[in-house]
Amino acid sequence: MSTEIADRRATGTAQTVNGRAVRRFTADVSAVGEPALWGFGGALALGIILIAGFLGLIFVNGVTTFWPKPIAVVETVDGRMLAGVPTRTGVYRPGERIVEAMTPEQRAFLEENQGFSERTLFRTANFDLTGDDFTWVSDYQKTEVTFPADFFYFERREWGPFVGRIAGIVIDDVAIPAEAVDMALLRREQREARGRFEQIRRIERRDIGAVNYRIEQERLSRRRAALRHGADSPQAEAAAAAAATRIAQLEEEFRSHQDRIAAIRAIDRENRIVLETIDGRQKETELSQIVRFFAANDLSFTDKAGIYVARWHEFLTTEPREANMEGGVLPAIFGTVMMTMIMVVVVAPFGVITALYLREYAKQGRIVSAVRISVNNLAGVPSIVYGVFGLGFFAYTMGVTIDQLFFPERLPSPTFGTGGILWASLTLALLTVPVVIVASEEALAAVPRSMREGSLACGASKWQTIRYVVLPKALPGIMTGLILAMARGAGEVAPLMLVGVVKLAPALPFDQFFPFIHLERSFMHLGFHIFDVGFQSRNSEAGKPMVFVTTLLLLTLIVAMNSTAIIIRNRLKRRYATGHF
Amino acid sequence: MTLKTLTSAAALVGLLAAGTAQAQMQIDPALPTYQPVSGVAGSLSSVGSDTLNNLMTLWAEGFRTFYPNVTIEIQGAGSGTAPPALIQGQAQFGPMSRPMRGSEIEEFEARFGYAPTPIRGAIDALGVFVHKDNPIECLSLAQVDAIFSSTRNGGLDAPINTWGDVGLTGEWANMPIALYGRNSASGTYGYFREVALFGGDYRAEVREQPGSSTVIQGVASEVGGIGYSGVGYATADVRPVPLRATDADECFPAEGQYAASGDYPIARFLYVYVNKNPNEPLEPLRGEFIRFVYAQQGQEAVMRAGFFPVNEFLANTDLEAFGLTPSGS
Repeated sequence: MSTEIADRRATGTAQTVNGRAVRRFTADVSAVGEPALWGFGGALALGIILIAGFLGLIFVNGVTTFWPKPIAVVETVDGRMLAGVPTRTGVYRPGERIVEAMTPEQRAFLEENQGFSERTLFRTANFDLTGDDFTWVSDYQKTEVTFPADFFYFERREWGPFVGRIAGIVIDDVAIPAEAVDMALLRREQREARGRFEQIRRIERRDIGAVNYRIEQERLSRRRAALRHGADSPQAEAAAAAAATRIAQLEEEFRSHQDRIAAIRAIDRENRIVLETIDGRQKETELSQIVRFFAANDLSFTDKAGIYVARWHEFLTTEPREANMEGGVLPAIFGTVMMTMIMVVVVAPFGVITALYLREYAKQGRIVSAVRISVNNLAGVPSIVYGVFGLGFFAYTMGVTIDQLFFPERLPSPTFGTGGILWASLTLALLTVPVVIVASEEALAAVPRSMREGSLACGASKWQTIRYVVLPKALPGIMTGLILAMARGAGEVAPLMLVGVVKLAPALPFDQFFPFIHLERSFMHLGFHIFDVGFQSRNSEAGKPMVFVTTLLLLTLIVAMNSTAIIIRNRLKRRYATGHF
Repeated sequence: MTLKTLTSAAALVGLLAAGTAQAQMQIDPALPTYQPVSGVAGSLSSVGSDTLNNLMTLWAEGFRTFYPNVTIEIQGAGSGTAPPALIQGQAQFGPMSRPMRGSEIEEFEARFGYAPTPIRGAIDALGVFVHKDNPIECLSLAQVDAIFSSTRNGGLDAPINTWGDVGLTGEWANMPIALYGRNSASGTYGYFREVALFGGDYRAEVREQPGSSTVIQGVASEVGGIGYSGVGYATADVRPVPLRATDADECFPAEGQYAASGDYPIARFLYVYVNKNPNEPLEPLRGEFIRFVYAQQGQEAVMRAGFFPVNEFLANTDLEAFGLTPSGS
């Protein structure tokens, strides 16, 4: 009762003044806690706004990137014509020299706007013909902006996009002029051409790839024999002779595959398209070069949605092209997920066993607290330091030794002696192991003493107690530590740049050749891909939207991996909540 | 050895595509079209220049259309990382945006007993970029030196701190110059220091950026900015300033034909260093890659990366250094 009165005195009482409820404080304001409450609430709101704004920015930019945009045709005052996709606008004040060179009308236009003018950045594409992809056009330079229906946006395999008209097509070496081009026919032919391209790719990847691989194996076996028995030994000579005959057979096979490709390529060259820019320059190219094309100003909503979905599909399922500026990110998605998985597989037992020993077996004393302090400090070491350690220890020490012992025939080309997905995963495992140890220790400490004692009193040994009572009870807490470690590992890029992440690693870490999973290979990573596209690409303007898309993808991927782990943890919680006691 | 001295010697023999006044440079039609051969497989890795990062990737993509089973890994953290990677055997190719220094070559020789061999696969005009609204028409190398360096070996008496100091008027007269440059691992950093700064030192105010593209983005975001980067990285937000070697010279824009003729004062070759034992032939994998670089398709990739192609004479000279013949012969 007395506490209630004190409480009421501190927080004040509600009174009615002129029909309104007014709180009156009877105690000192510092005792009330109200200002602190506002402070806490405000800090939380600020945090939420910042995070929501950041996620919103990535989401909005990432989601809209692939939506097809119209092509504007701009006529300028000096009679120049320009076709491009408007990307962004800005306001600026034209300099004195520009104003001096202006016509009276333009000057009047500027004066109306207090000397400022708006300008728009157009993606004019056609890099192969003009040498630039983007052009700024100020408002005072424009006379007319139209959106003609006969302008197409072509996504090409090389040279980036093309904006222009179709000046004609060549089907089976028969030229069809622009007026007679039937869009349905063109679409069908383009699909067929893409099919031919895919076919060539399949032959190259699967058939020629296999031949090349076997030739390489023969060459390695010859070198292995030479290393083992000496270069001039009879064994080496026999091996060389055997390899030579097999290589000759394989080369025969190689030539037959190549003839198949040449036949397809010959058909390919008979099906071409003539593209024309707005100023009449023409470019003839094979139809198979065109990944996708559409009349940007003549699209229904369903057409746009179709292109949008197709672009996402391409992004998620294909390899990058044009130095990572276009195409997809499949190898990067694969690399990110695989690396994180290997890391978890390594870090989970390692971290949990360490925590178990520290908490359950080790005699608590100076040494254990020193170890504990060191583990906590490890969590604060900058990640790049782990990268340097990974490179020096894993790649240069362990890897080089493995190469000398097991792959001498491949030297001087390193196999394990350079960065690779295995070394990267191990480095990240080292980086995240403190998180797992600390979380697991906390979880083990939280298991009530009474439960252990109960178990021991029933006659269970110490190990049985840990195995059947303590560990199940602590498992959800350990899982939380693993989730934190995974989130940190998947988002970490700096150490990876030293131990195996590369700009281009088109071969996934697995293929059809023994041993199928190649842990020594370098890999691509979404985080590094973002850095690369954003800060290393030739055209940073064109790279910007891709940065948002890739960031969105990386965030989605991390959320997906974490959610899976959280679901597993909740299942475990339920399972063990009722199972004991 | 600058491009100017080298190409002026070559020009005597009349080997350069002389003064073709086209906006876009053409690939030398005498270069062969690449013809694939059998039995090329294995993995290659390339460690080095960040300027060459995109070009190496385009070369790798192109090479892989002929040899799908070849894996090529590309890392680009700066030219300074290439020599150690070559010496350690971590990489077969060491792209560099500057020639190797004497000390680096010595280290290489100490390990292998011979010097590394360079592929000179592309020409770059190192651009000095300003914001797109900046009206500056031309800068001399001495002015560039006085803008970027603290030593002013170029001969100007006073440092240049504002745009008014290089002759701009109006609102530009008092606008301070914001400097953007590369980090010291970069070959661009070293080359620019040697040629544009006459071997001097950078000012402390230069904001060092980790990549070629970041320099451009920095200049694009600041009206008073100036920075140097490979011309292939230009965007619509920045403008390369035409340069002249001395006040008596004409101004030349950062374009292909002026870079190739050596008129543009800070043009350079882009190198890819290879560990080639002079007493042994190159194995097919690396050999074919080099032949690909000097074929039509390889030089087209050079243009796609925004750099300038080399001509047949240079291609054949370099191929000979590797003991190779042009593709298809």
